[in-house]
Amino acid sequence: MSNNQEREVLLSCRDLKVSFPKGKEKFYAVKGATFDIYKGETFAIVGESGSGKTTIGRAIIRINDSEGDVIFKGKKINGKLTKAEDREVIKSIQMIFQDPATSLNERANVDYIISEGLYNFHLYKDEEDRKKKVVDSLKSVGLLQEHASRYPHEFSGGQRQRIGIARAMVMEPELIIADEPISALDVSIRAQVLNLLKKLQEEKGLTYLFIAHDLSVVRFFSDRIAVIHLGEIVELASSEELFLNPLHPYTKSLLSAVPMPDPEVEKNKKLITYDGSCHDYSVDKPKWVEIKEGHFVRGNDAEIAMYKKQIENK
Amino acid sequence: MEENKFEFVQFDEESSEHIAAPVYSYWKSVWRTFFKNKLAIAMLVVAIFVIIFSLIYPRFSGYDIAAREHVMDFSRRYISPNAEFWFGTDNIGDSLFDAVWAAAGSSLEIALIVTAINLTVGIIIGALWGYSKKFDVIMLEIYNIVANVPFILILMVLSYIIGQGRWQFIFAMTCTGWMGIAYFMRTQVMIIRDREYNLASRCLGTSTMTMIVKNILPFLISVIVTLVSRDVPGNIGYEVFMSYLELGLDVNTPSLGRLISSYQAFMNVYPYLFWIPVAVLATVTISLYLVGQFLADASDPKTHM
Repeated sequence: MSNNQEREVLLSCRDLKVSFPKGKEKFYAVKGATFDIYKGETFAIVGESGSGKTTIGRAIIRINDSEGDVIFKGKKINGKLTKAEDREVIKSIQMIFQDPATSLNERANVDYIISEGLYNFHLYKDEEDRKKKVVDSLKSVGLLQEHASRYPHEFSGGQRQRIGIARAMVMEPELIIADEPISALDVSIRAQVLNLLKKLQEEKGLTYLFIAHDLSVVRFFSDRIAVIHLGEIVELASSEELFLNPLHPYTKSLLSAVPMPDPEVEKNKKLITYDGSCHDYSVDKPKWVEIKEGHFVRGNDAEIAMYKKQIENK
Repeated sequence: MEENKFEFVQFDEESSEHIAAPVYSYWKSVWRTFFKNKLAIAMLVVAIFVIIFSLIYPRFSGYDIAAREHVMDFSRRYISPNAEFWFGTDNIGDSLFDAVWAAAGSSLEIALIVTAINLTVGIIIGALWGYSKKFDVIMLEIYNIVANVPFILILMVLSYIIGQGRWQFIFAMTCTGWMGIAYFMRTQVMIIRDREYNLASRCLGTSTMTMIVKNILPFLISVIVTLVSRDVPGNIGYEVFMSYLELGLDVNTPSLGRLISSYQAFMNVYPYLFWIPVAVLATVTISLYLVGQFLADASDPKTHM
């Protein structure tokens, strides 16, 4: 992706920090994340449990308060907004949740669940128009018109997740934050949901922020990947670049853990264990450096020099 | 085996999405589950009978507690239950049947009004209390103060201050009575508040009021029905107890508590005078309580499958 400079930035985070109260102190779950998401791409954040990847997603959709800047289409959206701006941002950024078992209101029928956003902003001309929008959105995720009168408990996990997708899509957003949308699903229907997301992206020109921990899925699904560890983004590159030239030791250990469907390879595979103490940041502080075009890595001067050598030797 | 006898079956994606089960309706399922239970139907019949008798019969019986119209007719006193006087007559010659139902009606009326006020205030304040973290801090302090004073003490002090009578008693009962319900609702709302579908609603820009009405209260229907079924008999109990202590209602308002308190002197001589009001009290409270409990069970969707 050499033309990054020319592409339109849809969302950019600058030194994004999210903290939670821990007694009288603050605990930072995200310690300064800086990245851009370009229009029409799929940007993935991967990391282990508790690394802060979901928190970044929730900060962007403003469920969690954040410090630093979240800039959407040139406007800062975290912090106080006017009512009209707030409306605009809610309509433009939508979220797909991890667990379809808990993310739907069990006491509301599908018609209400999908229409909820439409009701809130009165995004329909009349009752007929609303019904049409609900049916269109049901059909776009492969569900039937008759499902509108049903309740969530009557659906399978995959169907429920598609209801969640329809609920986000009916708002006609520009950016969708997909928070591990397939982690809670059966393996047999993961591909179905991923293909649906891809199809909708092509049809509507959507931009995805895809939060995941499964690298094999992320490689297939996303254009660029950010690796996050303990609240810090350690490496950011296009998917192929990251898989070909992983630089940060944490990225290397993550990639080494991806299972290969080949017994020979698996037997001889050497797992790389990541230990944070391999960095000596006591004097030489780490920085966020663009080491190659579009390939960012976090490291101090000594490490950057080493990473540069690695790239040249390839 | 001839191959031309076989044909390929196409996978029909649409039919795999189809749901065969009949369309689910919450309230229909509630009534179906309720009416499956024979004891529930029996109790409902008793409760309806008791409610109609106690609320409507006194309007036609012409009984007036203050009139004492037969007080000079000594032949009408202490008649045991017979065909003319089903429950007999009392020490001033009034028909116990008329007196008991007038008393039950007035007790029930007061209990229903008190429950309605306490529940409405309690649910609204409790829902906001559970939902808003800022409101919680203030309300908890107020609750801690009020909850540490025994409710009976508050009732007694208030009835000494504002006097006895129907509306005074209702005021005393509702002054702090809603607080327990609000606190209970607060806990229930807090359990549901942070579930993921509420986050989803917030991402869609749903307002707090809509969230409470659409996302939270529907989950609490069965809890609220349980509250009603406990509260109506409970409030009858408070009224009876207070009137028994001659603190609740004034002498000219019929009440089961007053009846039981004034007839207890005849417990040994004319036992029916004491036991019939007690039996009516038990029938009213038990039938209402059981109907409420069965309804609460039926309104829990876990029982619908």
